Amino acid sequence: MATAAGTTTEWSRRRSLTWRAVARGAVPYALVAPVVAVMGAILGYPIYSLVRISLDRYGLFELIQHKGVYIGLKNFGSVLHDGVFWHTLVRTIVFAAANVGLTMVFGTLIALLLVKVSAWVRLLLTAGLVLVWSMPPVVAVQVWNWMTNSENGVLNYILTELHVGNYFQHNWYTTPFSQLSMVTTLIVWAAIPFVTITVYAALSQVPRELIEAAEIDGARSWRVFLDVTVPVITPVLLILTSLSILWDFGVFTQPYLLIGQPHINTGNYLMSIYLFEQGYVSANFGRGAAISILMLVIVAAMSVVYVRRMIRIGEVT
Amino acid sequence: MRARFVVAAALAVGCAVVATTASASTGRAQANKLTVWLQVDAQSGWPDVVAAANQQFQQQNPGWTVDVQYQNWGDHLQKFNATIAGNNTPDVIEMGNTEMTAYMASGAFADLTSAKSQFPNSANWLAGLAKSAMYGGKLYGVPYYAGSRVVTYRSDLFKKAGIAKAPTSLAQLVADVQKVGTMEKNVKGFVPMYIPGTDWYSALAFVFDYGGSIAATHAHKWVGTLDSPQSIAGLTAFKNLFDTVSTKSAATLDEANPAPYTVFSQGRTAAILGQAWFSCCTGTKYKSVTAQFVMPSHVAGKPIPGFLGGSDLAVPVQSGNKSQAEQWIADFTSTANEQSLQAKGNIPNATNLLANTVNARAAARSWFVPQAKHWVDVENGNILRTMLGQILTGKLSVKQAASTASANIAYTLNQS
Repeated sequence: MATAAGTTTEWSRRRSLTWRAVARGAVPYALVAPVVAVMGAILGYPIYSLVRISLDRYGLFELIQHKGVYIGLKNFGSVLHDGVFWHTLVRTIVFAAANVGLTMVFGTLIALLLVKVSAWVRLLLTAGLVLVWSMPPVVAVQVWNWMTNSENGVLNYILTELHVGNYFQHNWYTTPFSQLSMVTTLIVWAAIPFVTITVYAALSQVPRELIEAAEIDGARSWRVFLDVTVPVITPVLLILTSLSILWDFGVFTQPYLLIGQPHINTGNYLMSIYLFEQGYVSANFGRGAAISILMLVIVAAMSVVYVRRMIRIGEVT
Repeated sequence: MRARFVVAAALAVGCAVVATTASASTGRAQANKLTVWLQVDAQSGWPDVVAAANQQFQQQNPGWTVDVQYQNWGDHLQKFNATIAGNNTPDVIEMGNTEMTAYMASGAFADLTSAKSQFPNSANWLAGLAKSAMYGGKLYGVPYYAGSRVVTYRSDLFKKAGIAKAPTSLAQLVADVQKVGTMEKNVKGFVPMYIPGTDWYSALAFVFDYGGSIAATHAHKWVGTLDSPQSIAGLTAFKNLFDTVSTKSAATLDEANPAPYTVFSQGRTAAILGQAWFSCCTGTKYKSVTAQFVMPSHVAGKPIPGFLGGSDLAVPVQSGNKSQAEQWIADFTSTANEQSLQAKGNIPNATNLLANTVNARAAARSWFVPQAKHWVDVENGNILRTMLGQILTGKLSVKQAASTASANIAYTLNQS
């Protein structure tokens, strides 16, 4: 009896322990569940809907009927056989690379400057950066338009007054290259504050004693920067680079508004504009959905490299 | 390693979705409210006509309000498509006559055939405009107004330069505006005749003036014809005119930014080419010296063929207020309102209302776009604007640019 009672107690204690372990193990999942549910609702359904439409012929007629006609992978086939798609993809990659590169270089340089300047200058610079950061893209486009329009743009006026050359009624938007260059100036200008402020925060985490030790050992400032500062801020630089790639690859507002709809054509398409023109302007929503999915895959493929490195850095530190 | 890759891929897809998706909001129509979409031309040119129609409608329908929302030509169709998807269309929409076919063919508009007689002057509607609102023998729109292109000029400057009468040939026009340009050469930035380079409505008039065309059907397929010798002669004539009398900085500008009448109102040009209603907006300073004449052809004594642009008013099939929508359209296109539109430089929607105006005289020779389902894609794809920009900046020769545009037009029109 005593043995039986002891066994029951033992089993009961073990069961209680097991339940406790399961409950303890379930806590993280329970905590994550709301996020997963929300992500599933706001990302899962649109992706499902996007995939469904991409497999349909879905034009104006189908839009009015609220029902597409299944055509399998024909939309993907027609996009992948479209020369405009490949030209646009290459142009967008070059455009994004230039924008990300310029943003990261100028953002980091200004962050390094912030470390060196006096507190007052730092305050003024930071206030300016925050002002730039807080400006909505549509407003920024209007400011750029005001500065660069050929009729009475202030840029032409200043350049002419400074005797840089005769810029009277100079048109800054005559070729696809000049149009996208103007867009680049706007995007880089607007993106620098986020990079600068974040890199500045990372620089303040670089241990001072490491820098002093390197300097005592005779390292020059460039070597100190490369061998001491950069390794410490690399995780932040990687996060900023990957975010910038995502933003600049899919940028729409600035190029569409600054170049202007009457001047958007296959020669200056970026991927998001190509998607908009094919899907919305031409009312070919099935094809537009197929382009969206292809963009999704491309951006995911580009991001995976950076995300893996970030995870690896996280495991090491 | 594998798990790490999966996590990285999932995160990357999540990020990519954020980068490539957008959201849209929808609303619901309000009871006793009629939503009308008109183009901004009405807002700037004839708001009094809109107000008169609204007042008349509200007297006939006590308790109803009219919400007139002004749209831009550049994006109104995308916005309309979004309202179709969200079952939230306006009750009345203004459509350009080149935009109607694709929407009528897709069943976007209510059939107005049985209600035709309730619209004023419907027995005498302008044939060209009425045709653009018909599909499969049924009526899907009501002609609103039409307009040709004329020259709006500064009569004081012409007079000062000793020019007594309007030019009757292209060569004479060039000589006249050049004379004014020489006289005003000390005014900084003065352009004898301001022409926005990518204004294809004006540019293609030259193509038709020289016997050319945009596209033609051959064996049930569309063939681009902008590279024909006649079309190239016309485009070359346009380039010559632009190079002689306009400004290089306008080579890639369009007719909306800046509007030609804005340049005129700032005293920076002696003449502009465009819609006759441009006279509304030449500024108080130059109002009394604003005059118009028909744009002459290269053949003396003839007008250049003008683009017979126009608008129709349609009732989207999803509207829940169809009878009220029809009534508002009838009020808006009343005889009195159409006569007001004519007084403001437009061509009214019916032949019995036509007066001997410069606009009506200009419409004596006119051209229209190919009536193809996918023509609207040619417009939205900016194929013609791109060609004109390439020609006027000298990036491509007339022949090269016309050949490329011609091939693109044929490809677009022949889409299934």
